[in-house]
Amino acid sequence: MNPELKDILSHLQKDVDQEKLLEYLSKNLTEAEQHELEKHLNEDPFLSDAMEGLEQMEHSEKLPLMVQQLNAGLKSKLDSKKKKRRRTAMFKDNWTYYSIIIILVLMVIAFVVIRKFLIP
Amino acid sequence: MQLKDYQHIEDGELLQRYYKEYNNEWLGILLQRYTLLLLGVCMKYLKNEEDAKDSVQQVFLKVINDLPKYQVVFFKSWLYMVAKNHCLMKLRDKGQVVIEINEQVLIAKEDEDGILEAKNKDQHLEQMETALNELNAEQKLCVTLFYLQKKTYQQISEDTGFTVMQVKSYIQNGKRNLKITMLGMSKHES
Repeated sequence: MNPELKDILSHLQKDVDQEKLLEYLSKNLTEAEQHELEKHLNEDPFLSDAMEGLEQMEHSEKLPLMVQQLNAGLKSKLDSKKKKRRRTAMFKDNWTYYSIIIILVLMVIAFVVIRKFLIP
Repeated sequence: MQLKDYQHIEDGELLQRYYKEYNNEWLGILLQRYTLLLLGVCMKYLKNEEDAKDSVQQVFLKVINDLPKYQVVFFKSWLYMVAKNHCLMKLRDKGQVVIEINEQVLIAKEDEDGILEAKNKDQHLEQMETALNELNAEQKLCVTLFYLQKKTYQQISEDTGFTVMQVKSYIQNGKRNLKITMLGMSKHES
């Protein structure tokens, strides 16, 4: 009996990184590496769908550039969100300062009033 | 954001850090791990490079807006579902026929795999052999060549005359059928 039978249903833990995927697409992997990546394809529907789509790309050599552009777009989206959040945070901070000042002023007024009118 | 600096941190850990302080930097690192996969999935469904690129941007935006609303545990499966649904919606808007949205990725696949994985003993290898023999001829051939003889899709395609796409689907369907048969056997046993 072949002990490798168990490989069919074993669960692979580690994900395939994007560079490996690009090398697979440009056929730069050894046969053993190809086989290893294909094992992941068999059990990961996300990876398998993605590979099917990427194989349909006319210019696969442009993929790294496309990924770079998309990542740059993502970064600017995240930055604009961050700025918006920072503004809100600053506004909240200002209110904290205002409340502290108002409380201090009230305490001073109370102190003066008590000194002047209540203590003979 | 240098991706390499964070390579050792798992998705789950990054997601936890994100939920702790809602810091988008962690989300950026997480999403960039999947840019290429997202592009591939969008390309598969939309069949057009420009549409695929636009859709990846839209999926990014959707994730940035939606992730804080849910407590996502398996980021990768969730992201796959978001991307797939986005593409299918787009196809539906265009009036193209849409296959049913399949959310099976959401079902924790760990449970079934766990049961089967624990069973690597001889008896189960025997069962596996029986199950393998129950597959149809093409699936059995491709699964055997791939897992037992460790051939690549390309080599199997050359050996058998099937296209690479056929090989891939015979292996993937064969594997699924095998799993179903094996699960049936273990339920029968218990």
